[in-house]
Amino acid sequence: MAAQKPLEAEISALMVEVLNLEVPAGDIDPEAPLYGEGLGLDSIDMLEISLAIAKRYGVELRADDDASRQVFASLRNLARHVEHTRAR
Amino acid sequence: MPATGIEPAWLEARERGSPILVRLIVWITRRLGRAPARALLPVVVAYFVVFSVKPRRASREYLARVLDRPPTLADVYRHYHAFASTLVDRVYFLSGRYEHFDVRLHGTEAVEHAMAGGSGCVLIGAHLGSFEVLRAAALSGPRWKVAMLMDNANARKMTRIFAALNPELADDIINVGAPDSLIRAKQRLEEGALLGVLADRLRRGDEAIGCSFLGGTTWLPAGPFTLAAVLGAPVVLGFGLYRGGRRYDVHFELFRERISLPRAERGAAVAALARAYATRLEHYTRLAPYNWFNFFDAWAAPDEGARG
Repeated sequence: MAAQKPLEAEISALMVEVLNLEVPAGDIDPEAPLYGEGLGLDSIDMLEISLAIAKRYGVELRADDDASRQVFASLRNLARHVEHTRAR
Repeated sequence: MPATGIEPAWLEARERGSPILVRLIVWITRRLGRAPARALLPVVVAYFVVFSVKPRRASREYLARVLDRPPTLADVYRHYHAFASTLVDRVYFLSGRYEHFDVRLHGTEAVEHAMAGGSGCVLIGAHLGSFEVLRAAALSGPRWKVAMLMDNANARKMTRIFAALNPELADDIINVGAPDSLIRAKQRLEEGALLGVLADRLRRGDEAIGCSFLGGTTWLPAGPFTLAAVLGAPVVLGFGLYRGGRRYDVHFELFRERISLPRAERGAAVAALARAYATRLEHYTRLAPYNWFNFFDAWAAPDEGARG
């Protein structure tokens, strides 16, 4: 498993808290898929994550095209997107 | 986390009868128009009443519950005929020929009220009558946009059959199978759309809630109610009942002003919502008993592991 970067650790802690996940936040592989087989999240979980991220970071996640879909592929992509959007 | 291992009865049953019936009726209607298609319905419907064994059994079981007497073959015929009629009309609704019908709207003020805040609301329906008339009525009368959440292979099959009629519709159909599909749904809601979802069929992997319905226990999905809770939007119910001939009665009613729950309390609250919905569903089903278009055993228990 790849190591979590600081923002990834923060977001995985947020996910565990919001979704009541049973995995420790530190055990979430930043490169593994969040949805479906990876962490096993469903589309309602993904919606909840997006709401929590909007609240915490002021970053609104959109679902407009394939590029935006990539954001939800892994914790790493998600954290990268939050970081870039916040910096703007 | 959703319970896994559910094989809902309607997914299990390769409902041979219905998709072929759907295809045939759509084809006839597109080739010949509504009047000739309706003239042919008795023959087509009689054929399917005789040869579709599983759906016929499901129809009889359902009719016995709702009519409270042993159903006759004429009841089963009437049930199939109502289904086939709505398929013919669906071709018309989808191609925007709404004015051919006598559609009466009830309870639109409940939706107006729910949407007074400027954003949309969640519209929960069922495979009862025609959801298509509801969509057409919402668009042509009060000019509400309806985005539909669809969540199974059967719906995709149906969509494919009907897509040729109205390609623009593709935009209004949100497939639940993608990670961002509900984020898309939320965007549509914020744009002021009614977010339509049918809550009377389980899909694979869905958490099942046992609800009392027509004297037995039916298993409804938690998903639509959990979604409504997460979105925190107003929830209305909508049913487009077919009344014979060209007549439809479209009923809307306010279900909940707003559902807002901490995650810890959600499970019990969602189950209560599903049960309340089942009560309303039973009410509308009794209003139009031949409009129940779930031709599978709706009272079959999902796998033991899935009971919640």
